[in-house]
Amino acid sequence: MTHATFADLAPGYRIDGPAFAVSRESIRAFAAASLDFNPLHLDDDYMTGSFGKTNFGGIIMHGMNNFGLLTRMLTDWAYAAGAVHRRLETRWLKPVKPGDTIRPHGVLKSKRTTQKSRWVVIDVEVRNQREEVVASGEAMIEFPLPAA
Amino acid sequence: MAQAFETDFWKDAASRKIWDDIVPGEPRQTMPYTLTLDAIQAYCRSVGEDHPLYFDEDYARRSPYGGLIAPPSIHILLMFACTPADDWMRTPGTVNAGQSWSYNIPARPGDTITLQARALDKFIKKERLFVIHDNVFCNQRGEVICSGRGWTIRPV
Repeated sequence: MTHATFADLAPGYRIDGPAFAVSRESIRAFAAASLDFNPLHLDDDYMTGSFGKTNFGGIIMHGMNNFGLLTRMLTDWAYAAGAVHRRLETRWLKPVKPGDTIRPHGVLKSKRTTQKSRWVVIDVEVRNQREEVVASGEAMIEFPLPAA
Repeated sequence: MAQAFETDFWKDAASRKIWDDIVPGEPRQTMPYTLTLDAIQAYCRSVGEDHPLYFDEDYARRSPYGGLIAPPSIHILLMFACTPADDWMRTPGTVNAGQSWSYNIPARPGDTITLQARALDKFIKKERLFVIHDNVFCNQRGEVICSGRGWTIRPV
């Protein structure tokens, strides 16, 4: 893969991250590594109950696991381009469950040069194996100006 | 730190603030946390992060970063590492609806991380109880690592 340069990038440019297989083990590993032991992610008995109008019907993956996958995709791309990941905003749209396979991707939305630097804005999504969008948001990557 | 961490989030549930008690603007109690390379790498493995900036000391030393760093999303761990067991973010049933984060400099192994945190807003929407939290993580030199907001739906 050739590394992106700010000059060559244009709206519509696509970035794909690797697929991630979600399992009870992956959820437990994320809980241990993030210290987030909320029973939403670990306790099947608790998850038979309802949360207001919502019944998840079993444990769900941490929403921030999506955030971690999007970050990985963005930083792997940015590091190779000499760019810096500066911002990520996400919303969780659908629960992700053990057995799902999810995959992040991004599409460049706009470019902007400011007084001191250069930026790209990227629409990001995570989709499951049914092509349902489980998370969406927006990222901002900085392409610092070359040293004078 | 990780050894002393209470993983049973029910244990201190009665001592945590509920939606009614949370005062927007009031600081949350926080505590410093020393970030270890082991903690960084365990987090990386849990999300499939395998970049040599997080694992290969020689590569990282020769990179523009000058040494091993943590991925930007390490704040996911820091949020729980820098807050006590009675913090309302641990309340079982707390649903994370979304977050936004801005990144300044990377966290590094050995950094002592501090957190300034508060509820920024609370509201009711579609019969759900929301709290927005606002957070800034700094290193031992007072340099901002990252800052971010999150939308949580509070359990009832």
